[in-house]
Amino acid sequence: MEKREIAIIGGGPAGLAASIEAARAGAHVLLIDENASPGGQLFKQIHKFFGSKAHSAGIRGIDIGKKLLKETEEAGVEVWLNSSVIGLYEGNNLSVVRSTAEGKKIVTVQADKILICTGGQENAINFEGWTIPGVMGAGCAQTMVNVNRVLPGKRVLMIGSGNVGLIVSYQLMQAGADVVAIVEAADHIGGYGVHAAKVRRAGVPFYLRHTIVRAVAGENQEVCAAVIGQLDDQWNIIPGTEKTIDVDTVCIAAGLRPLAKIAQMYGVKHDFIPEMGGWMPMHDENMETSVCGVYVAGDTAGVEEANTAMDEGRLAGIAMAEALGYIPGEKAEQRKNDIRKSLESLRLGPFGERRLKAKERIIARGVAE
Amino acid sequence: MNDNILQNGYPSWEELKKFNRIPSHERFAKGPVAVIECIQAIPCNPCEGACKFGAICVGEPIINLPQLEEEKCTGCGMCVAQCSGLAIFVVDKTYSETQATVSFPHEYLPLPEKGQTVTAVNRAGEPVCEAVVVRVVNPERNDHTPVVTVAIPKEFADAVRGMVRLGMEKPADHSCCKDYVYKENDPDDLIVCRCEEVTVGDIRKAIAEGATSITGVKRRTRAGMGLCQGRTCSKIVTKMLSDATGKRGIDIPLDTARPPMKPVTMKILGGDDDV
Repeated sequence: MEKREIAIIGGGPAGLAASIEAARAGAHVLLIDENASPGGQLFKQIHKFFGSKAHSAGIRGIDIGKKLLKETEEAGVEVWLNSSVIGLYEGNNLSVVRSTAEGKKIVTVQADKILICTGGQENAINFEGWTIPGVMGAGCAQTMVNVNRVLPGKRVLMIGSGNVGLIVSYQLMQAGADVVAIVEAADHIGGYGVHAAKVRRAGVPFYLRHTIVRAVAGENQEVCAAVIGQLDDQWNIIPGTEKTIDVDTVCIAAGLRPLAKIAQMYGVKHDFIPEMGGWMPMHDENMETSVCGVYVAGDTAGVEEANTAMDEGRLAGIAMAEALGYIPGEKAEQRKNDIRKSLESLRLGPFGERRLKAKERIIARGVAE
Repeated sequence: MNDNILQNGYPSWEELKKFNRIPSHERFAKGPVAVIECIQAIPCNPCEGACKFGAICVGEPIINLPQLEEEKCTGCGMCVAQCSGLAIFVVDKTYSETQATVSFPHEYLPLPEKGQTVTAVNRAGEPVCEAVVVRVVNPERNDHTPVVTVAIPKEFADAVRGMVRLGMEKPADHSCCKDYVYKENDPDDLIVCRCEEVTVGDIRKAIAEGATSITGVKRRTRAGMGLCQGRTCSKIVTKMLSDATGKRGIDIPLDTARPPMKPVTMKILGGDDDV
């Protein structure tokens, strides 16, 4: 069995930010990630980020990722890559399938503090033909073009107009594809107007109050067309409104939900918060859950975006280091308050206020049983 | 919800006027000026720092719309590539007697070349007129956001906001219907759990037999017991349960989480001899 002061599960924006803060304070931090490189979604986010200068605004996600990796290294964070946490047991014992030079082996890690920041998972929708090759999650298409440099198709239909649907549409066009249409079940575009305007002036039409009826396979058993239809007030397709669109790829951007199975199996109190993607672990103002010493941050603690994930990670990192005695209470409180203010600034306005209110509700409710 | 930005994905002229986004006639008459087409309160302020002349102010909170002090703006275009939303343009209505120029961010390859004739488009992506490329600037500080300046007839200065990307000059017919043979499928045969190949019919049957939770469906059908451990299908099963029982999401608890979270071979699982 290995012992560590802090174990962080998931090396995305939240995990990297947390590990840097905690390690800089002097704690021994182990960061575990199941991918070959840490960074999570940052390395497929080739667009410039929003926020203020303090949030790395104007910098592309991939460059923020590179900066965080460098800082992680400088801070002396121990990183296990290609390694998966497969269980969390009584006494803060993590069961890890670790990749080593001799191959994969199972290792138990006992940690004083554990941060679970395993991100979110894409929501699937099942329509006729959704299992045909060529139908994929928008996040999957984004990984293909931005990480693996593979174009999933030449003519794409995007289902969903939230920021993910809009950004991935834009990036598919940058990679050389034609986005034929963006379909949205709601009566308005879900993502930021500036993202919508980018794809619109590239000629992409929006079909509001529409959904996909089916994806159709051609002779090669891959997607060769998609049928969309208009929705009535009861969300049923209005007969006669079906349109066939010539596409070879259908991307689904139907939102994300928190991925928190590790917290769930450890008995962390959950609640259903629709604004944050549904069931999620409850946490306090230090990102600590109902189980003392177990923290959550980023999309695991409610689906938002990378800036809020990094801020929540920093908050959890400082709180863990403080709890271990590495940062004096007064100093920690001041730094945590600065981050809380920064988080609040990211949750203002028509797109953020629902999340701001949800987070206020979560923290007011507390984590006590 | 009649706002054009929410309905059609771009700000209408009325919306731009309403949010005071359009510089005055007097300012346009003096030469190039920034047009900041940002009309939603989103947390973002890089434009403020991008302007070396202090002409753009966002202030606190950072969801404020950027305000342009048009007298301070020199039309230099430094802000165009710094806007994360690619929503700033520079318009010069004094370029010549008959022509204006519009500068816009253009993050597509191949880039046009100076002197090249391209097709200018409006905010809706519709071709407006032919345009001649006057300038393409892409210094390191733009961080891969090239800014293209095109000359166009003056009357289109308020309309043109981009160009058809090269190689895409012939817009595809979005409504075209390809020949394919569609065979009617039984809706019950639709797969829900891809790992265990559980169909809509299987799950409907399980619900009819009394399953009221994801776990109940899982025990009867194996949906969610495969490689992905329900990552893909649990949301769909939740929706089917909700549709069938009238329960809302909050009344349908998560399925039980158990180790191992990821498939692991017995060889690896049995290998930890120092537990």
